Amino acid sequence: MPVAASAIYLLNLRGDVLINRLYRDDVGGNMVDAFRMHIMQTKELGTCPVRQIGGCSFFYMRISNVYIVIVVSSNANVACAFKFVVEAVALFKSYFGGAFDEDAIRNNFVLIYELLDEIMDFGYPQNLSPEILKLYITQEGVRSPFSSKPSDKPVPNATLQVTGAVGWRREGLVYKKNEVFLDIVESVNLLMSSKGSVLRCDVTGKILMKCFLSGMPDLKLGLNDKIGLEKESQLKSRPAKSGKTIELDDVTFHQCVNLTRFNSEKTVSFVPPDGEFELMKYRITEGVNLPFRVLPTIKELGRTRMEVNVKVKSVFGAKMFALGVVIKIPVPKQTAKTSFQVTSGRAKYQASIDCLVWKIRKFPGQTEPTLSAEVELISTMAEKKSWTRPPIQMEFQVPMFTASGLRVRFLKVWEKSGYNTVEWVRYITKAGSYEIRC
Amino acid sequence: MTMHGMRGLSVFISDVRNCQNKDQERLRIDKELGNVRNRFKNEKGLTPYEKKKYVWKMLYIYMLGYDVDFGHMKAVSLISAPKYPEKQVGYIVTSCLLNENHDFLRLAINTVRNDIIGRNETFQCLALTMVGNIGGREFAESLAPDVQKLLLSSSCRPLVRKKAALCLLRLYRKNPDIVNVDGWADRMAQLLDERDLGVLTSSMSLLVALVSNNHEAYWSCLPKCVKILERLARNQDVPQEYTYYGIPSPWLQVKTMRVLQYFPTIEDPYTRRTLFEVLQRILMGTDVVKNVNKNNASHAVLFEALALVMHLDAEKEMMSQCVALLGKFIAVREPNIRYLGLENMTRMLMVTDVQEIIKRHQAQIITSLKDPDVSIRRRALDLLYGMCDVTNAKDIVEELLQYLSSADFTMREELSLKAAILAEKFAPDLSWYVDVILQLIDKAGDFISDDIWFRVVQFVTNNDDLQTYAAAKVKEYLDKPAVHETMVKVSAYILGEYSHLLARRPGCSPKEIFSLLHEKLPTVSTTTIPILLSAYAKILMHIHPPDQELQSQIWAIFNKYESCIDAEIQQRAVEYLALCQRGAPLMDILAEMPKFPERKSSLIKRAEYSEADTAEQSAIKLRSQQQTSNALVVTDQHPANGATSPISVGELSLVKVPSMITSENDTSTDLSQQNGALSNVDTQPPSADLLSDILGPLAIEGPPGATVQSEHNAISGLEGGSDAVDGSAIVPVEEQTNTVQPIGNVAERFHALCLKDSGVLYEDPYIQIGIKAEWRGHHGRLVLFLGNKNTAPVVSVQAIILTPAHLKMELSLVPDTIPPRAQVQCPLEVVNLRPSRDVAVLDFSYKFGTNMVNVKLRLPAVLNKFLQPIQVTAEEFFSQWRSLSGPPLKLQEVVRGVKPMPLPEMANLLNSFRIMICPGLDPNPNNLVASTTFYSESMRAILCLVRIETDPADRTQLRMTLASGDPTLTFELKEFIKEQLISIPTAPREAAPAPAAAQPTPQIPPNDPAAILAGLLS
Repeated sequence: MPVAASAIYLLNLRGDVLINRLYRDDVGGNMVDAFRMHIMQTKELGTCPVRQIGGCSFFYMRISNVYIVIVVSSNANVACAFKFVVEAVALFKSYFGGAFDEDAIRNNFVLIYELLDEIMDFGYPQNLSPEILKLYITQEGVRSPFSSKPSDKPVPNATLQVTGAVGWRREGLVYKKNEVFLDIVESVNLLMSSKGSVLRCDVTGKILMKCFLSGMPDLKLGLNDKIGLEKESQLKSRPAKSGKTIELDDVTFHQCVNLTRFNSEKTVSFVPPDGEFELMKYRITEGVNLPFRVLPTIKELGRTRMEVNVKVKSVFGAKMFALGVVIKIPVPKQTAKTSFQVTSGRAKYQASIDCLVWKIRKFPGQTEPTLSAEVELISTMAEKKSWTRPPIQMEFQVPMFTASGLRVRFLKVWEKSGYNTVEWVRYITKAGSYEIRC
Repeated sequence: MTMHGMRGLSVFISDVRNCQNKDQERLRIDKELGNVRNRFKNEKGLTPYEKKKYVWKMLYIYMLGYDVDFGHMKAVSLISAPKYPEKQVGYIVTSCLLNENHDFLRLAINTVRNDIIGRNETFQCLALTMVGNIGGREFAESLAPDVQKLLLSSSCRPLVRKKAALCLLRLYRKNPDIVNVDGWADRMAQLLDERDLGVLTSSMSLLVALVSNNHEAYWSCLPKCVKILERLARNQDVPQEYTYYGIPSPWLQVKTMRVLQYFPTIEDPYTRRTLFEVLQRILMGTDVVKNVNKNNASHAVLFEALALVMHLDAEKEMMSQCVALLGKFIAVREPNIRYLGLENMTRMLMVTDVQEIIKRHQAQIITSLKDPDVSIRRRALDLLYGMCDVTNAKDIVEELLQYLSSADFTMREELSLKAAILAEKFAPDLSWYVDVILQLIDKAGDFISDDIWFRVVQFVTNNDDLQTYAAAKVKEYLDKPAVHETMVKVSAYILGEYSHLLARRPGCSPKEIFSLLHEKLPTVSTTTIPILLSAYAKILMHIHPPDQELQSQIWAIFNKYESCIDAEIQQRAVEYLALCQRGAPLMDILAEMPKFPERKSSLIKRAEYSEADTAEQSAIKLRSQQQTSNALVVTDQHPANGATSPISVGELSLVKVPSMITSENDTSTDLSQQNGALSNVDTQPPSADLLSDILGPLAIEGPPGATVQSEHNAISGLEGGSDAVDGSAIVPVEEQTNTVQPIGNVAERFHALCLKDSGVLYEDPYIQIGIKAEWRGHHGRLVLFLGNKNTAPVVSVQAIILTPAHLKMELSLVPDTIPPRAQVQCPLEVVNLRPSRDVAVLDFSYKFGTNMVNVKLRLPAVLNKFLQPIQVTAEEFFSQWRSLSGPPLKLQEVVRGVKPMPLPEMANLLNSFRIMICPGLDPNPNNLVASTTFYSESMRAILCLVRIETDPADRTQLRMTLASGDPTLTFELKEFIKEQLISIPTAPREAAPAPAAAQPTPQIPPNDPAAILAGLLS
């Protein structure tokens, strides 16, 4: 197991130490001064998350208005360290009930020290699961008054819990109504040339689950992914269905997923933790269904006038619709006056981002609204600086649509008591960085 | 300002100020800029009020650092608005946003001109202010006459004329041609009659600029300036508003005195007297008071007055008054004042005569050295350094040494360097110098640069009587428990060379010395180990009879280092071991190092380069001036290679020029190669700088080495010819005869000087003429040192230079009388116009007692001095050689009756004439090929190529071919070389005299500073 940290510092934006915890004595106490001097006070802040000063390496990450800095002096596993930070922040958030910022840290520093003692030992990461830690670190964080009230739960045998085979789930949960919620959330990243050819395109997706199930249920998830389907057809010795199969790249699972079974049977089977969790993450680069096509024509008429025509076409099913569509069409810095004509939604010029912003609240499928705008520019002396034409950016959300075409084929729940469960499945596709050159 | 009611503007500003961070601010600004652009585009709808408001906003945004180039046009267009509020905004914003190179400004020129020639004074002021701030060349061309008219007009109010003067100053700086010198000088003088002090101050600024360019034309202003100064100093007719803390317009005073400093001198006695009265008044009237502002003002005036006093070369009395005043300043507790006092005192050092007076404040200056403020300490150090001379050197250096241990680290290096330089220059005796440097190394080892210890090694090597002392001294230091590495280096070197001189003393047997040194070996770094190894080898060599035990011990060490990873150490170990094993005869190679050739202290050179501060610079400059004045000795103490070492001259030259022996392969060259490698550290990059400074000149510079040799030839003959002691400049006076016979052969001396740059040109019982020359390109600077050797003055001294046509020579004034036992120097500038073999002659006459002596001496400003050796590659050589075909550019001649000499000797001879032999270019080993460049004013540098074919059967004849780009040069150079080959000064090459005879110890009369220095610098 690699060392992840010799010391952890939480600093505010000015560089004051909010919390520090030294796990090993191979780094001195003045390390944070070095960080302040050589990273925070230089322009290099934010350029590279890993820096070496003297014999020590600094890994840092900014979360809201706090810097979390890990210092190691040996050859540490960087990925492990960053994963630790991310998980720790998630843990803190679940304790504080939402925000993780300077104020929350100041209000909870006793709790944080207690947690820091628990989640890392002599530089080695330990159990970071909030569900489990909450069993024995019972001190509640100071919650904001708006978050939900803590429930008075009995303290079960924590030791057994941690050392048991299913470390992430308590025994003896009982729900009146057994429900499973499953969301597939995808975000589309696209870079398209002005001619409409795709330069770069991928989808990153995650499957989020929320379980309210009694006892120790065993779940099995079937997707329309290629490997799973092939394996299934092998097992059942019948040809694969002609339907579309999806090739998933870079799949990562939550720790509850039984990887041996995944390797042998290619099925995702797991005993879920109680409550909300992220079951898996994946990436798709082939066969992406783009929800929108954008056809821009931008003409510069002389030095002081521009004509902008943008047509946006929704290519998903006519019964579906996209929400919160925002199209940002960049214009030169010296834009003075604009006038618009749009077939739906509203458009305006935002000087602070140098863009024409076109908002369409509800965008049905298989339609193509257009925007035509006239832009007047003010003349300047510095004509040499030609306009660089940054790409058009787009934001949207399309419910019940997956850009990858991924579908849940089944979600089976087995439990000893054999209760009935209700399964809810949702799909949603969002824009990641959805850019079209113009 | 008319910003009342501009609600939009103040709301915007408060918005921006309320922004939490830079991003928010940027968003707010971008939004506002979008708004402003939108408004500017709505040309019709903008009221003057709105225009003004948005332009103000734009200015504010610009001041926050954002780009607002779209709005320049708007700002410039506001200038032409008819009403004051808009016009004012236009002018102010334009002068903030635009600079003189902006194209938009061109659009405004006409409007601005209209405002200037208009009747409205307010508009005139606005326009003049803007032009005064951002006016460029074009403004200068089109507006200058109008501005001049305004400045001179009597109907204008002083306010406008004041601005006009400053505006004209700006325009003048942009384009000096706008002020017509002839016409303007009178008007300027007329302007100085002005009674209004405001106008006068502005005009004085203008005058400073005018005079700094050309003071000749403004002589007429000089008395008026003095008059103004007088008026101010007497506080006559100075209105209350121009009095600052009781001082009448200090700014005007300072500027006026600045103007006066641009005039070289003041001739009119009345004016001069008045001025000195005024200065006297200023000097007398200034004192340190409580009020800071008053102090600032009065000191500004005072220091300007001091500068003026120095500039005018006031009488000694006034100078001493100045120094006394400064002495008061440096005793004040207030650090700023003390700083100024010290700095100005350093400046005062530039002026002659005051040094003695400054010395009185030495104690006070030394206390400043302990001031808590580092800048004061630095100034004090500079001043001490500057004021040091022979009389107080001992005190000051002691003080610096004492201070060194408490000084802070940032200063130590500088401090130690300065202490070392002072010790070197003003040492009353050499052992003191050695003491000081060793103490320095002991106290501040980390801050001692290599130059310092190289220098001490050079001194010890060159002074035989110092060697024992130094060896004993370093041993004492080595006995101490903790020794700095630099000290180990020095002591290893010195003990290696001279520990055998101590051998009789208790505790100094070679064995003990060795173990003392060897103790340090584990603690030192790789740069020191080579020196230690050399020391071991030398110690081993000096033991007679050989000590088997020590030998095996040392061999074991060499053995161990034979596989060292450091190439330098490894090579030394291997070579020393091989040398030791060869036995006694070869040990000669490890004999004592020969004397170093005399050269300028690298420390002083370094000090000259390293300093940047102005005051420091001045101190250094001063020092370097003194340097030349102290260098009154031109000794002939040539390095006595041949004398001390039994190796024959030829062998030595082989060692010195390793490139010449690479082809041969017998044992002797093998060995000399090894020796060459020992000293030729330069060839090994990792340790190139280790000893190169010490050993460099011996090992690397081939041609000077050869020079040394032929010098020796020339001078050993001279020694045979006369009893004159060659080693010291000033000869004991006893053996005087009445007949004035030159001591030594004048012709020989001339020939020797043709080859080297310093030496004695002429000497007789009364007088000695030394020469020191520096040659750079076609320029040369000779310094004649006329030294009176007797206790009576030499009078009616006359020196006339008979200059040949091809040279331009300027001899500075030669004093009529040379005081007893003094030496005067006369610099002589030489410029070479074209090639010629003619020689300049110095017609020198003087009268001593009743003897009138007249000698005609040839000056060694000969052809070869303007040559610069240059190494050419084979391609370069042959392409040049072929392109210069046939006479007159290429001449060939068979020379007969050449003095027979071996080929290497001839090569050395040519090298010593700065004609560089290029070995390997000619396949025939009997031929020599050489190249050089010739510098003259008419032609600059010309490459000359020489080829000499010798006949091994008949050494008395050879064929010589010369080529260069100029026919005269080719001819003259050919003749010159021919002369040299035929009429070489035939020095009788007698057996090398015993070392003691060759190196007469300079007898230093204990109380003669000149002679002491002579010994020191020899």
